[in-house]
Amino acid sequence: MLLISAYKWIKKHILIIASALLMLVHLYMVFIFVPTDANQGIIQRIFYIHVPLAWIGFFAFFVTLIGGVMFLWKRDFKWDRLASASAEIGLIFISLMLLNGCIWAKPMWGVWWVWTARLTLSLVLWFIYAAYFIIRAYISEDGQRARFAAVVGIIGFLNVPLVFLAVQLWETQHQGYLIFEGGMVPEMTWTLMAGIVAYTVLYVLLLKDRLVLKNLENKLNQMKNFITGG
Amino acid sequence: MDNLEFLFAAFALAWAGVFAYMLFMARKQGQLKRDIDLLEQSLKKGE
Amino acid sequence: MQLLNKAFVIAWKDILSETRAREIISSVLVFAVLVIVIFNFAFSGSQQEMRALAPGILWVTFSFAGVLSLNRSFIQEKEEGCLEGLMICPVSREAIYLGKMMSSLFFMLLIEAIVLPAFVLFFNVNVITLPIITLTLLATIGFVAVGTLFSALAVNTRAREMVLPILFFPIISPVIISAVSASELTLNGAPWSELASWVGIIAAFDVIFLTASYLIFGFIVEE
Repeated sequence: MLLISAYKWIKKHILIIASALLMLVHLYMVFIFVPTDANQGIIQRIFYIHVPLAWIGFFAFFVTLIGGVMFLWKRDFKWDRLASASAEIGLIFISLMLLNGCIWAKPMWGVWWVWTARLTLSLVLWFIYAAYFIIRAYISEDGQRARFAAVVGIIGFLNVPLVFLAVQLWETQHQGYLIFEGGMVPEMTWTLMAGIVAYTVLYVLLLKDRLVLKNLENKLNQMKNFITGG
Repeated sequence: MDNLEFLFAAFALAWAGVFAYMLFMARKQGQLKRDIDLLEQSLKKGE
Repeated sequence: MQLLNKAFVIAWKDILSETRAREIISSVLVFAVLVIVIFNFAFSGSQQEMRALAPGILWVTFSFAGVLSLNRSFIQEKEEGCLEGLMICPVSREAIYLGKMMSSLFFMLLIEAIVLPAFVLFFNVNVITLPIITLTLLATIGFVAVGTLFSALAVNTRAREMVLPILFFPIISPVIISAVSASELTLNGAPWSELASWVGIIAAFDVIFLTASYLIFGFIVEE
């Protein structure tokens, strides 16, 4: 009896357990397992959280693109809920990643902000998805809001490779910051991979929670409409 | 090259952000559930 | 060909009404020259410094002028109820997009053709060269490709004029980065070959967003 209820409990909370465990593993790897970088010293360890945050930001916006395309195709509002929930999480992760970049830049270059390719790209993306939510706020009709948001989500994501190419080229033309990129020993690669896996699981967990919330909001609105209509 | 406080700040900030978001969602979920229950009850009374 | 004909008719309608009302070109033109003058007050540097700042000032002027004229493109239609009229006409949504895009392109190129000499006059930097004209042409196509789509989107929201710039500027950022960097290079005497990768990014932007906006425009003006 106890075993069955324990099993049920684990099954119900599998995502949050997996996410917590992976986060702990990732922390262990970042602070104990991985060797200190020879050039940048201890501060280089920010890299292992910086890149996963950026990755989730981009991945979330990719899900927004898929949600947008599916909404325009199927006209089912569940796709719009998916797209907007994912965009919200993406915006939060990109914001955290930008703040993270500031904290990295200060000890490295003595300033809080540098126009590195990765930070510039993320900043542009931040603005696009901030616009995504501003537009949602300015439209009152549900169908129109979902359609317009889908269009912004699609156009915004199509822009990512172009912005990437432009800022990459811009960086090489203007100034080369010493960014830790190549020369990773295997432990470093493993730590980075662990970070990406851990944060992807966290993303799925957050997305699921956010969707539950969106569905509740939806149900409440329907009930309100029912009452005012009837 | 001892920038331990920056390393700590970077991780603490990211974690704090994620936890704040989770807390926000949990609170909102509780609120919504309460509202829905309230509405359901008043609907039943009306019938 | 049917499609292109209809698009030309819509574009011609816009150009005709512009020649009568003169709502867009004159006001945007004054605005663009004003931006240049304001920049002159803001920086007022030596000949050498102005030369370094010129590409940036030029492209800020073009993108501000662009957002202003693109905003007008659909507000006029909306205010006078013309969009509904257009929708009743037996033309496809794609033809409406192409037509509006072509008229906006025409207006913007006309404005730029006057702003460029004004720029030479005020800053004494020769920007009337083949590379800069090519860049202007390519970048303007990119501006109107996404601008027409977003302009149609913006007029249907509550905030209208506010929405277009906050959408338009981040999306065109690769064009701005490329155009400014390439202009910088060519003003410093770099040959075509060094501009190629920048020109390539702008051209890719044009192709991608012309296609995407053309395909997606119907979802904005439906109902």
